[in-house]
Amino acid sequence: MTLPAPPGEGLPAPGPVDLKAEMVRATEALGRSAPGGSAPAKATRMMSDLSIDEELVLHSIGWEPIELVSGVSIHSVPMYVWNWGQGEIEYASAAYARSFARATERIHAECTKAGGRGVVGVHVEWEVHRHHVDVALVGTAVRPVDWNGLSPDPIFVSDLSGRDFALLHNAGWEPLGLAAGASFVYAPRRSVGTAVKQKGQNVELTNFTEAMYAARESAMERMQTSALGMEGTGVVEVKVTEGPMAFAHHAVAFTAYGTVVRLRAGEHRHVGARMVLPLDDPVLGFDATALRGG
Amino acid sequence: MSDTNETSDTSDMSGTGDTPQDLPEGASRRLAELEHGLFTSDLSVNEFLLIKEVGFHPLGFVMGSSIYHTGIQTRKWGQSQELTKLTEAMYNARELAMTRMEEEAAELGADGVVGVRLDVNYYEWGKDAAEFIAVGTAVKAENGVSHRNKLGKPFTSDLSGQDFWTLMQTGHIPQGLVMGTCVYHIAHRGLGATLGSAGQNVELPNFTQALYEARELAMTRMQDEATELGASGIVGVRLEEKSHQWGSHTIEFLSLGTAVVKTSDEVTLPRPTTIISLDN
Amino acid sequence: MGEAPADLPEAAVRRFAEGAFTSGLTVPDFAACLQMGLEPVGFVQGYCVMQWQWYGMGGMGLGMGLGMGMGGYGAQYANTGGYSENWPCPHGMVSAEHRAWGQNFEQTWVETAWTEGFTSSYDRMVEEAASVGAHGIVGVVDTNQPLSDMGVLEFRVQGTAVRVTDGVPPADGRPWTTYLAGQRLAKLVEAGYAPVSIAAAVASVRVWANCITENLTEGSNSMYSMAQPGSEIDQTVKAHSVVRRLARRRVRDQLDHDSLHGAAMATTEHELGQGDAELQCILRGNRVRRFKGFDPMPAPVPTVRLL
Repeated sequence: MTLPAPPGEGLPAPGPVDLKAEMVRATEALGRSAPGGSAPAKATRMMSDLSIDEELVLHSIGWEPIELVSGVSIHSVPMYVWNWGQGEIEYASAAYARSFARATERIHAECTKAGGRGVVGVHVEWEVHRHHVDVALVGTAVRPVDWNGLSPDPIFVSDLSGRDFALLHNAGWEPLGLAAGASFVYAPRRSVGTAVKQKGQNVELTNFTEAMYAARESAMERMQTSALGMEGTGVVEVKVTEGPMAFAHHAVAFTAYGTVVRLRAGEHRHVGARMVLPLDDPVLGFDATALRGG
Repeated sequence: MSDTNETSDTSDMSGTGDTPQDLPEGASRRLAELEHGLFTSDLSVNEFLLIKEVGFHPLGFVMGSSIYHTGIQTRKWGQSQELTKLTEAMYNARELAMTRMEEEAAELGADGVVGVRLDVNYYEWGKDAAEFIAVGTAVKAENGVSHRNKLGKPFTSDLSGQDFWTLMQTGHIPQGLVMGTCVYHIAHRGLGATLGSAGQNVELPNFTQALYEARELAMTRMQDEATELGASGIVGVRLEEKSHQWGSHTIEFLSLGTAVVKTSDEVTLPRPTTIISLDN
Repeated sequence: MGEAPADLPEAAVRRFAEGAFTSGLTVPDFAACLQMGLEPVGFVQGYCVMQWQWYGMGGMGLGMGLGMGMGGYGAQYANTGGYSENWPCPHGMVSAEHRAWGQNFEQTWVETAWTEGFTSSYDRMVEEAASVGAHGIVGVVDTNQPLSDMGVLEFRVQGTAVRVTDGVPPADGRPWTTYLAGQRLAKLVEAGYAPVSIAAAVASVRVWANCITENLTEGSNSMYSMAQPGSEIDQTVKAHSVVRRLARRRVRDQLDHDSLHGAAMATTEHELGQGDAELQCILRGNRVRRFKGFDPMPAPVPTVRLL
């Protein structure tokens, strides 16, 4: 695919839009009997959860949304796994990794079936329960307008917003997929009190440090391995979480996931950001909850 | 590039031979993967693009942590004073975490770390202990010129990608995240004193004095660190106050900022365009 | 949507007769509406209260897994049309403790009740708007919430009725509706979409677990389990896929060649114990119709704010 022209180049500035006239035109079109009556011949019926801003930005790079897609996976975690032990809780780490992988496969399949080139704006919801790890992904399948369905590149799944996808696209980068890694560990066995011989001594607790540090690194490494497997150049917008399980405070989970990207054609292209000084105060956007009377 | 083990030298460095002293084995493996060209970062897409604009490229997500015992120090109930042992502990703990993060960055051959976040975690099973974590994204200048700080180490900064871009435009570069800390015990007021001022809105000179002194100590120590780095100034200073697990009369005052140094007199800030945005 | 019920409360009629309008719009949205040539006419609402019980919650000891198939209270309603899939366990044995028969089935009665509640309240809101000569309703908010513990669910739909300056009243007498308001609506129209109506649908699937599903979900170690520890819980996963697909299909059936914009899909799961679960997926969005092609747009200019 050829790189798009730098932003704004070669196109006339849009003239002022007469909103009132457009509104009249829009509502009059509704009155005509056939849906899509005055619209261009190919009125694709699409479903998307993107905002209008995202859709406009997508169109500015020549892409369009087509379908809402999702993928879910639940893997079980056997009993007794959360009882205090030592080192890594492998069943839990494996359940997370497998659920993430299968959920991604499923949303990927739905995208392919819908004729999409990739999925953007994926909401990632994952939750660890005592006996199972659930991962649910929902996003919008997108493709270049008038795409012929052929591409040498694999279909991508990413949690980049439509806007971020377009920004990276203009800079010469493309998403490849979602990479995730997790490491669940038991807190080291000995309680902190006994680990410190003398009370009142403020020292580092090396056992604990090593255990937590190693687990964090492990989660990141698994994410990296997944990214390398996709032949990516980098992972952006990595989201890192860590914390004990609500139902087992001595078990700690470290997770990391992000979108794998690759430089599409040789060099990164600079976006040429402009500095602005807005004069207005930030305005509260319309929020439907204003009507709830709450 | 050969496999990294814990004592190897990274090839792209100018000057000091940093060898990671105490990073876990897993870190070395992970960093080796990053050295093969993959980068990771928790920068947003906006920040990623802006860092590229000023000629830097992200190398990888780096982190350091330390679990430290932050127990009690004996103190006099009725006296306001700094608890120096605790101050030392808090400082050392964070230093350890930051140093390990810097070591990871050095291992990658980085010029600096941006977007540094310092967090404290308390775990239920670790009473009197807290985990101090430092995370950030290591970056390197694309033109190959070393941008390390005066001590030859990768610079650290808690600036966002946007702030980093803006700072570079003004002809300054970060040198390091500087911090000063002070753990202060605020005297409990005697019963007589409390009754004496009941119902009146008056200044409580003890408290004022105590809090004032504590904050000044924290900020002075932070400035000393900046001087050590040969900085011309500190940006983005903020003061945080936490009681951690000690109860409300013992407070840690933490002063954080990014020390910067001027690199050139040329300020390449484009003339800002004033806009009146009609959008939400 | 069905026939408009002519049963508005008397107070509503009086309120509209008074003339001055109330509106739930914020100041910026009010301004944006005027900019688009939309005159707010009044605040409109519709309500409907439906009886709402937990179907399929029973089965506590009632005919549990008798191996004859459909044990349990809810299962008598299975096979009422709609998705249904059997999940027999792979073991040869049948016993009182062993759940040899599993089934995923669509709870069509739940879906019907929800649809009725939503449609009734929506139609009432539309009727209020039509009665004041509105052309459309913007900023629609729809909620449903249980009323204390009376086993009832209240459906509420509210919005701001508007008239289009120099516009024509809707051909079929029913104002168009949209969840959007303010700038987002303006951009929608500028982009070439006309709002038709809000669209919403629900799908409800019940998981009646078989032995494997129960063991994997509860982590139990039944010796008859034969379930690989750490494996995927196929039955529940399938139900998740189906419930989302059904919700999308229901909405797509309402679209009739139009598109759905700004959708929100929310899925909830109630674990009922022993591997059983009730899944519900609600999909909402704006049904829109293209009235002109996309003008080629120059890419927006990236900026960094100084303040």
